[in-house]
Amino acid sequence: MTLQILLAISAVLFALGLAAVLSRSNAIMILIGIELMLGAANLNFISFWRFSDHPSDLTGLLFVIFSIAVAAAEAAVGLAIIILVYRNLRTVEADDANQLKG
Amino acid sequence: MMHAALESFCADPVKFLAPWFVLLPAFVLLLSAAAAVVMRNLIHAALCLTLSFIALGVVFIALGAEFVGLVQLLVYVGAVAMVIVFAILLTRPEQLEKSRSVFSGIGPAGGAAIAFGLLATLLGFIFASPLAKKPLPAPAVAPVANIGEALMGNHVVALIVIGVLLTAALVGAAVIAMEDQP
Amino acid sequence: MTEFLENAPIALLAWFLGILGSFGVPGWMLEIISALIVIGTVIGIFLGLFALASVMERKILARVQNRFGPNRVGPFGLFQPVADGIKMITKEDLVPRGADRIVHFLAPVVMMVPALLVLAILPYGRGMVPAELDAGILYFFAVGAGTEVAVFMAGWGSNNKYSMLGAMRAIAQLISYEIPLVMSGITAAMIAGSLMPSAIVAAQGGFIFGFIPQWFVLTPWGFTAGLIFYIGALAESNRSPFDLPEGESELVAGHLTEYSGFKYATFFMAEYVGMFAICGMLVTLFLGGWQAPLPFLTIIPSWAWFLGKVCFVAFTMIWVRATLPRLRIDHLLAFAWKFLLPMSFAAFFSAACWHFAGRGLVAWLLSLAIVAIPYLAFGIHFSSRFAISRRTYRFSE
Repeated sequence: MTLQILLAISAVLFALGLAAVLSRSNAIMILIGIELMLGAANLNFISFWRFSDHPSDLTGLLFVIFSIAVAAAEAAVGLAIIILVYRNLRTVEADDANQLKG
Repeated sequence: MMHAALESFCADPVKFLAPWFVLLPAFVLLLSAAAAVVMRNLIHAALCLTLSFIALGVVFIALGAEFVGLVQLLVYVGAVAMVIVFAILLTRPEQLEKSRSVFSGIGPAGGAAIAFGLLATLLGFIFASPLAKKPLPAPAVAPVANIGEALMGNHVVALIVIGVLLTAALVGAAVIAMEDQP
Repeated sequence: MTEFLENAPIALLAWFLGILGSFGVPGWMLEIISALIVIGTVIGIFLGLFALASVMERKILARVQNRFGPNRVGPFGLFQPVADGIKMITKEDLVPRGADRIVHFLAPVVMMVPALLVLAILPYGRGMVPAELDAGILYFFAVGAGTEVAVFMAGWGSNNKYSMLGAMRAIAQLISYEIPLVMSGITAAMIAGSLMPSAIVAAQGGFIFGFIPQWFVLTPWGFTAGLIFYIGALAESNRSPFDLPEGESELVAGHLTEYSGFKYATFFMAEYVGMFAICGMLVTLFLGGWQAPLPFLTIIPSWAWFLGKVCFVAFTMIWVRATLPRLRIDHLLAFAWKFLLPMSFAAFFSAACWHFAGRGLVAWLLSLAIVAIPYLAFGIHFSSRFAISRRTYRFSE
């Protein structure tokens, strides 16, 4: 097993997340895509840590821990916003929340 | 070729199978992530996403990052997946999802094409890079005690900032989602 | 004799593997066989405990309610679990027409897997941990989070409004009580200085003055955190008084409504195994694990102490079920967020003060004060708000 395979897996995961963000119009699906992209980034950090010459330097791991915490906060706030949009507009389509459009 | 593989399997099966402890969950991860992206039913998409979170945690553990993998399972499966499911149930969309996207006019095919283009570029660079051909070093371990010392030592500022951020996000999410007071 | 009994399980395993090794079985296969034997033994013990508990619970409830309970099958009704099992297996497996077949089928499986996985890290005796993980406590909580997914799958896959309501309640309850549970568990891990269950048990060894065991539950912070952990454990295993998700009188069994036959039996089994597992965690964290309570009682082997303590905690859970009425859902959530969570923070702070004040008598009194003051403040606050008075009828007048 080489670093290539892990990086390729993470690239495919990132592309899947990007496809979800670009092609789905439901706001929850966009959030799901963002979570997948964050997971791909985390996988990259872990792979580089695993293949580094100094594994006792834990920066790669700590970055993932912080990233997971930030992702949790992001999911909570994002979903609260989606619920609020739904309550006011009765829709969760990202395109329909366009009242600020001039 | 076949014979040599069989021989190395019989000599030490655990060592022979070691890459598959990573590759198998990685395969599940990609499959469930793809399913989560293409599913029309939102609940099915969320359940596939949960499976991909679990598989990602298993990949982390198999790569030697035991603590991070368990944190991934605890936070993503226990909290994020459940929050997403709750949001889906609280916002029952009356009409089906439209087929156009945020960038009006791109459509699903356009989005997939952009993602595929990015993937091709990334894969091209990854397979061209000499750095990525590095062989697997000896298994690395990250004892929990060392992680704790690093969190409380060099990275304590980041830890405190994350704590403040999480508190703010918790309060903010509660305020945003609260019913308006009459 | 004591030595022999103490080491009997490990010696038996080593003896068996030695015989296999003398037949020329390769080393890696011996490792796999040894792992399989350990897994089989642990699962067997817990399934045996489940069978015992399912009949003992009914007997104890019957005793509390002044009736006989099951006494037809076998002596004292002890073979009741066998009869129950046969009944469950031979029953028709119904799937509602509108159900999501795959999710409906997978939910019991997803429920069972975490319940069995968490058994791996419990220290069953001196040197008897199936999987010695560096982050064992974290593993316990991380894997236990899978239960929520299973409950949701059961509720949603059944396509039944009672199931869905029950599942929503269950998830809200599980998430709310998970936070005080983890906070109080982390308190013990902080004092022991390790997330490894065997290290936490080792930190509770020894006796003060030669007879007081150094269990965490005997310190003020440990008592508070242990009590919070116990309440959280009741809620996490959906036991009364927190059995709202399955409240049969209001929700016709919640997320279990549409399950019958073997799938229902799987849920039932997973719930009991999960209950024993969390009792085992409580024993490990606060009740000294496999340590004996008094010095001269160390003649009883350590694994017997562990199992005995687990059975005792499970008995108190049945006792609580027979005694307390069910809570209302908003009271339940308010209790978790407004009382248990602040109290678990207080216990956490108190434990830190106890440690830095030198773990002596002064530290004991200091940590008692830190726990007691918030408790009394909450008590005064709540009792002034909810004074006992004539019942008022908001809607009927």
